[in-house]
Amino acid sequence: MAGAVTGTGDLPEAGDLPARSRGVIALLEENCTVCMLCARECPDWCIYIESHKEPVPGPAGGGEGALPPGHGRQRVRNVLDRFAIDFSLCMYCGICVEVCPYDALFWSPEFSYPQAHIADLTHEQDRLREWMWTVPPPPAPDSGAAT
Amino acid sequence: MTPAGIIAAAGAALPSAVRCEAGHHGVTLVSPPGDWLTILAFARDGLDCDFFDWLTAVDEQDEGFAVVVHVYSLAGRHHVLARTLLPRSAPRLPSATGVYRGAAWHERETYEMFGVVFEGHPRLAPLLLPGGFEGHPLRKDFVLAARAAQEWPGAKEPGDSDVPRTRRRLPPPGVPEGWQAP
Amino acid sequence: MAAVDLPVPRAGSLPGPEVITVDAGEGCSVRVFDAGLACCAVEVAAAIRRAGTVRPGPGKTSGLNVFVVAGTVTDKLAPFVLKAYQETPEPRRVLSFGACANSGGPYWDSYCVTKGVDQFVPVDLYVPGCPPRPEALLRGLDVLLGAPAGQA
Repeated sequence: MAGAVTGTGDLPEAGDLPARSRGVIALLEENCTVCMLCARECPDWCIYIESHKEPVPGPAGGGEGALPPGHGRQRVRNVLDRFAIDFSLCMYCGICVEVCPYDALFWSPEFSYPQAHIADLTHEQDRLREWMWTVPPPPAPDSGAAT
Repeated sequence: MTPAGIIAAAGAALPSAVRCEAGHHGVTLVSPPGDWLTILAFARDGLDCDFFDWLTAVDEQDEGFAVVVHVYSLAGRHHVLARTLLPRSAPRLPSATGVYRGAAWHERETYEMFGVVFEGHPRLAPLLLPGGFEGHPLRKDFVLAARAAQEWPGAKEPGDSDVPRTRRRLPPPGVPEGWQAP
Repeated sequence: MAAVDLPVPRAGSLPGPEVITVDAGEGCSVRVFDAGLACCAVEVAAAIRRAGTVRPGPGKTSGLNVFVVAGTVTDKLAPFVLKAYQETPEPRRVLSFGACANSGGPYWDSYCVTKGVDQFVPVDLYVPGCPPRPEALLRGLDVLLGAPAGQA
């Protein structure tokens, strides 16, 4: 029994989908401070983050800072080594996107990324950045909303 | 029937060991295990609760297992909960299938999930678990082994992937304190 | 009133699996055996209604049998899913649809869920989603028919 035959142009492309459609999650690495909130809150444990600390150049090194040498402790910052999301486990709940305090995670409506090997469903930083280019601009506020 | 009417009828017909509690969902009849079939038969006949909704158990840990039944009266439109408490060391209860046939599968599921034995059940065999499954999964001391065995990605501290972990690690959510992976 | 004994239902001969032929155009067809175990089954049903929109790739295969596992595989049901797979005639491919069939999904830590149908059946394509869109199934069928995988 063949299904109802419809024309090939009937399928929605990702651009036709409503705003905030949950297709895939994209990462903007520049905004990530490695606070680990997304990895902790993920109910599926499907976000893998590796990071290390690096010292930030202080006043003696010619960096920013108004403190004279010898005062204040060395500032450190977190550097992201690995950020991966395992989409074979992900249930697209959006908790990671909501909890991120720095808006580093975004929803993209792209929905078709099947793979022949399950390990390829774990998307690393480079692939997550590529999804960023498919993230649509946020929709305009409703007409009665406060700005 | 109003909750007050139910409580009045129950107070008149049931043994004194049975307590009636009015909650926002209806009346709960709490009885010792010996009067279990009595209150179920009263709910069916005296309170017109002809719809058997569900039977399940609650692991109250040291207090034992509470077995709860929810029945409903289609004509009177009132809900009745029946509740009893079984000792943890000997969780045995007469089967409700003599009063409500629909309890059969619910009692099978409660038996395999909690280990409560229903005496007089026509066929108390596991319902949902595969053959050879050991243990009773819905008991509170049955640990979700996968969460303890798998390493939690959120246990890492920010920026500490290459630093020896000397601070106390956060346990993953859902794993009791001090439980060691097998 | 007393407890009423209703007659115990007896299963007669069980119906065979429903075979859905998906018209992929250009004389090509794909037969889909859907093991619709849970919520993903609804998306597969929605996809099958749009069956005429599968676009084959250059190496199109006609008469291909695709065994789609859509939904959570529990340990109790696993032997029957395996049996259904074994009864799928060749040439056959297996498409794992949704997070539960891929890896156990949100229920990976459950005491009774099989962590992915690939534990006992060889899978040819994994379609991620929870649930994936119906169009994702059709794109997955495209890939099994020879279209390039990746961002389709």
